[in-house]
Amino acid sequence: MSSEIELQIAPIVQESLMHNSRTFQNLQSLTASLFGVSAGILGLESYSGFLFYIIFSLLTSVLFYIIRVAPTSISSGKKPLDTSRYFLGAVDFWTGGLMNGLAGFILTWTLFYGLVSA
Amino acid sequence: MAQVPVQTIHRDPQLFYWILFPITIVMVLTGILRHYATVLMASAPKKLDQKTMREQRGLVHGINVRGNFHTLSKRSFNARRDALITAYESGAYLKDPENQGQPPPNPLSDPGSMEGMMGMMKNQMAMIIPNTLIMSWINAFFSGYVIMKLPFPLTIKFKSMLQAGVATKDMDPRWMSSISWYFLCIFGLQSVFNFILGNDNAANQMAQQMGQMGPQTAQMFGPGVDPNKQFLAEAENLAVIDHYSVLDNVEDRLLKSIRV
Repeated sequence: MSSEIELQIAPIVQESLMHNSRTFQNLQSLTASLFGVSAGILGLESYSGFLFYIIFSLLTSVLFYIIRVAPTSISSGKKPLDTSRYFLGAVDFWTGGLMNGLAGFILTWTLFYGLVSA
Repeated sequence: MAQVPVQTIHRDPQLFYWILFPITIVMVLTGILRHYATVLMASAPKKLDQKTMREQRGLVHGINVRGNFHTLSKRSFNARRDALITAYESGAYLKDPENQGQPPPNPLSDPGSMEGMMGMMKNQMAMIIPNTLIMSWINAFFSGYVIMKLPFPLTIKFKSMLQAGVATKDMDPRWMSSISWYFLCIFGLQSVFNFILGNDNAANQMAQQMGQMGPQTAQMFGPGVDPNKQFLAEAENLAVIDHYSVLDNVEDRLLKSIRV
């Protein structure tokens, strides 16, 4: 009950939250395609390619946090690596991009691998 | 340890220009076409007559009062609640009060609901027709070509899917035919469409099907729903609310926040 009252005192605006996560998803799917391009040009195969994707998409999340989220979030009194000022769900923020961009990554990876090394 | 030799197949480089790029370009253009077809075919919401509008807005008013009661003072909330409950129970907002208590009309006989179904049919058609056309186009022109190699290994089970139309027994399942490039395009082009058309595009049928899988939004004013029952349920919901205000104890919270 008390948390409900707190939520009503400081309400969360659904539209802004959706806008934030949509912007982030856009960035993720776009960068996933670009990672696919670079993995294909580098000629990575099987595990090293997927590892490349995982590392770089996590790196995207970290950079997004450092550049866009951290400056205002830390100065407003949140702990470091706490995204609750702009996003609901920390797991979703850090790893949601992996599933999001996987299809785009595989498509461009296959395309450029085929174009470059075949 | 016996190393399996890597299969190499010498392919004509022209395959890329005559198979890979046409399929990709056609897929992208179909997506764009589908997006604009959906935008054009979207029927404008039908104009409601005054009575229907009053019925719907009356119900929405009750729901909003119920959802935001904490911003009202006790007195004004009580006044709103009493007025709404009396109106709901007497059926003051109903479109045709003499129909009260009768079973709802058959949704199929209502012309208004037919229009909604037509809209759904149109959407389905916009998805199915291009897919069938492209599938048969690829099958007719490009079947039997091996065009690419996947950058990751797959098990033998995928062979029949990826190499449809290529009946070569010992070929590595990593080699893929044109039809499997088509499937890759279906799944992976969403990010391209996001980039070209903006985020809420209707270009990708996979995304739309995902959306339909999700929880169906409850139809509030759909055909076959008895508005009188909705009003009575809403009156009950309003009656059981235990009112409090966000301004309760606000002075304590203020003092606590400025204490040094």
